[in-house]
Amino acid sequence: MDPKTAMYVAQGIHGLAYGMILFLVASGLNIIFGMMGILNLAHASFFMLSAYFSYQFLSMTGNFWLSLLLAPVATAFFGILLERFLLRKMHALGHMGELILTVGVSLVILAGVKIFWGTESLPLKIPPFLKGLVSVAGMDYPVYRLFVIGLALAVLAMMALLLYKTRLGKIVRAAVSDADMVNALGINMPLVFMFVFGVGTWLAGVAGVAIAPILLVFPGLADQIGMDAFVVVVTGGLGSLSGAFIVSIIFGLLSSYGVQFLSSLAPLLMFLFMAIVLAIKPTGFFGERE
Amino acid sequence: MTNKVFKWTLWIALVAGLALYPKLFGIYYTNLFVTFAVFAIYSVSFNLLLGYTGLLSFGHAMFFGAGGYGTALALKHIHGLPLLPAVMIGFASAALLALILCPLVVRVSGTAFAMLHLAFGQLLHMLAYKLRGITGGEDGIGGFPIPAFSIPGIVSVDMKAPENFYYFAIVVLGISLWMMWFFTKTPFGQIQVGVRDNAKRIDYLGFKVPQTKAVVYVVAGAFAGVAGSIYALFQNLISSGALDIFTSFAPITMTMVGGIGNFLGPVLGAGIIQMIEELTTRFTEQVELVVGVILILVIVFVPMGAVGLLKILKQKWSARSASRPNLERAS
Amino acid sequence: MGQIYYISALWAAHDINKRGGLLVDGKKKLVEVIKADHMSKPDQCKKICERMVLQEKVHILWGTDGSNMMKIINETANKYKVIAQNTASIADELQDATNFSRYAFMSSFSTDQVGRGIAYYYSQIRKKEKKFYILCQDYMFGHAMAEGFKKGLKEYFPQAEIVGEDYHKLFLTDFAPYLEKIKGSKAEVIYTGDWIPDAANLLKQARQMGITLPFAHIFLDEPNFLHEVGVDGTKGLVQLSQYGAENPNFKTPEQIKYYKTWNNLWKTKWTAPFNTRLFEHGTGNIGSYTQQTYWLLSVIERAKSTDPERIIKVWEGDSYQYVTGKIMKMRPCDHKAIQDLHIFEFVPPEQQKVSFNIPPYYWYQGCSNVGPTFTVPAEKVLPLMDRNLDRCKGKNDWGE
Repeated sequence: MDPKTAMYVAQGIHGLAYGMILFLVASGLNIIFGMMGILNLAHASFFMLSAYFSYQFLSMTGNFWLSLLLAPVATAFFGILLERFLLRKMHALGHMGELILTVGVSLVILAGVKIFWGTESLPLKIPPFLKGLVSVAGMDYPVYRLFVIGLALAVLAMMALLLYKTRLGKIVRAAVSDADMVNALGINMPLVFMFVFGVGTWLAGVAGVAIAPILLVFPGLADQIGMDAFVVVVTGGLGSLSGAFIVSIIFGLLSSYGVQFLSSLAPLLMFLFMAIVLAIKPTGFFGERE
Repeated sequence: MTNKVFKWTLWIALVAGLALYPKLFGIYYTNLFVTFAVFAIYSVSFNLLLGYTGLLSFGHAMFFGAGGYGTALALKHIHGLPLLPAVMIGFASAALLALILCPLVVRVSGTAFAMLHLAFGQLLHMLAYKLRGITGGEDGIGGFPIPAFSIPGIVSVDMKAPENFYYFAIVVLGISLWMMWFFTKTPFGQIQVGVRDNAKRIDYLGFKVPQTKAVVYVVAGAFAGVAGSIYALFQNLISSGALDIFTSFAPITMTMVGGIGNFLGPVLGAGIIQMIEELTTRFTEQVELVVGVILILVIVFVPMGAVGLLKILKQKWSARSASRPNLERAS
Repeated sequence: MGQIYYISALWAAHDINKRGGLLVDGKKKLVEVIKADHMSKPDQCKKICERMVLQEKVHILWGTDGSNMMKIINETANKYKVIAQNTASIADELQDATNFSRYAFMSSFSTDQVGRGIAYYYSQIRKKEKKFYILCQDYMFGHAMAEGFKKGLKEYFPQAEIVGEDYHKLFLTDFAPYLEKIKGSKAEVIYTGDWIPDAANLLKQARQMGITLPFAHIFLDEPNFLHEVGVDGTKGLVQLSQYGAENPNFKTPEQIKYYKTWNNLWKTKWTAPFNTRLFEHGTGNIGSYTQQTYWLLSVIERAKSTDPERIIKVWEGDSYQYVTGKIMKMRPCDHKAIQDLHIFEFVPPEQQKVSFNIPPYYWYQGCSNVGPTFTVPAEKVLPLMDRNLDRCKGKNDWGE
């Protein structure tokens, strides 16, 4: 392969990888906003919280797998607390209530992170066994990124399984269409909501732990990543798992090929694509719900 | 009779209070009031979409910014441009932007409307960065001449003096609020409430929903532009920050805190938020913590907003006084 | 990053106060530093400046990074006739014809000087690499940084080749596509004006992708992420600095005493947030802000007054020497500082003793840091002068 082609192939791989990262970050929001219709503006804050937790667990135990296990659970714990005691009361107020509440929560998380860990950045290294480069399609590719891609695919598989092959998934999908009916069938809706919100926050937590070693862990992390997650979920279509996945890939490829060929436009491409998709189909790529 | 006299005294007290405010409180608080006025206009314009038409926008800052940039660019490039035309250009720029976006947005509502505006708002924000040659990027356009308020041959008032600018801002606030209030009382305005509650029914009644939405949309955008215009004049600076997500969020929180269902709700909300900001920055460094907690408390305990709270208190108070024999009414 | 500014001003003020304060208006007065947060919002900035001037009655407004914020500070200072000192915003246009104010002084270097200084180093001092890739943030500051470098290359290094030029969005998550382009361009050095978090993410991800190219920069010096990347990953970084210490850092007993005072306090007394690695040495950017504050206080002392007119009279054309030995001159016509600049080459701990010449002979064990230091003479990097400014008409770059 001549160098030019090699570079284009490499950009393609980078695009797919970034798409996977986006999907991982957006997956939790996809469940919460896409499926439950809850406008959770604190999603990125949970992502950041988990990154900080992972630093904490890593410094306390020195074990990456342990922190990958514990940090998302800790994050989910706070998520469930939020849902149980505060978010639940917002149903009557609709989106506005959720918006104000979750903005308030995101500010509190931001303040909390600064108070406990300071305003400077935290050094978070890639675990030694995932370091280094490996040969992929003739180029040297970071092992850790392959790990993140693998994790994203695992999450996709897990979510698909959960939603389409389990009874719980059936209940969730039914509740998304008609919560009252499901309630009438005797199923404990509040419990289902709490569980689903917990899963959504847990996924944000997994993303946080996995992606933290690639990014600087600092108080602005939530702002940095927050918009991306939203854009993916909304453009993919609320309520659609495949939509979120496909749109993530598209954004990833747009981003890398945009940098390669249209570099001065690259910063604009994401919102341009979102605007175009929404202008043509306001409910998003594969969106069904309003 | 007493009610009317009461209302008139309130009005006179308000006008007198506003007139004397600068003398009583000094430059710093005068300027604070101007910022409040800007955000009051901005939030009320936002509420025309939310409270009256049921449309939540995540990108209202683009109209605010359009107004600000329109005025700033006009003053920078057109020598000797007077004050009112400069503001009108800001108004027109925002209205133009709204007109351009109209066809795209009026067929949409709900979450899609909100998200579409998020996309456009962010796009314009990025464009403000990229088109540095025109917009000055993050540094923005500053140092443009602030013209005096002048009626040729009669009077010329220097607008750089904080006190004079204050009066100017008050007048603009008053006129804007009055115009928007008037708009809600017109048939257009009334239809909007119908659209908010049940768009289909309005459609069946023969009103063209998209067209009426378009009118409200342009009005809401145009007045956000006025707010942006005054903001630019006040700061003598307009930068890409005026189009960012936080500027888009400001009217949302202000409207919510003040009360969505009432025309003056956002005004009250703007005032409350200003006061909270002022107090928190004076007494603590943990601004995020305080603001976050306040937002949570407000939405959990006072979701109807300040106006709603006042209504409830008023009801409780008149319920109490009704239980006592009311001699006034008897006479 | 407000804390680094606060501690810089506080340190200088505290030092002067311990010696009895400043003799102004006939009396010895203590210096008071009041912290104000502009939150990067223009209306908040204006508000807080006015509060400082009108209610707290400050004499000096000391600011900040973010040229749009500094513009507002300068404007408020001009309106209410107090002095404004710019220590951290490096935009040239702050002192240009549109924005100049007699009350505003820029003791910091500027983007134009940065680019030209780095270009000078590569052409006259290093004389090795010729292929440069420019990767900056896609906003005015990033473009100004790039322009300065391109100008410097034209001026000092015409044989150099710019093999690529890109502007990435702020707070970018994934640098891989840009890094891929850089790999393909056969660049030898990556020039960037990025600051945190972009600076950190750029370096981290580059090293993770196996790219070992050196970066020419001004902000890749924050010890936390340098430690994260490690000794090897930070070797060979080239930083332009206005801190001003030539090698070896500690030449006189006074300099050693000054350093040790800071370092010992850091080790023993300081609590959060000042007890982190960032504040260990008090050199680099923190040191620069501190020195600029000392300059200000010295000017006030020699003016014997807090009256802005007297301060302006002393400061215009003033010469002052920093603790590090560097000599500063304030160009009278546009209030910009003329100064030598320095290039730091980052080397592993065992080689850092060439600059850190007292025990323990290294800056940091966990990452590469300042080693060999080279001077870029003031005459090679005179700050940009806007000839449209009336005061500057007919003057050369020295201001004469």
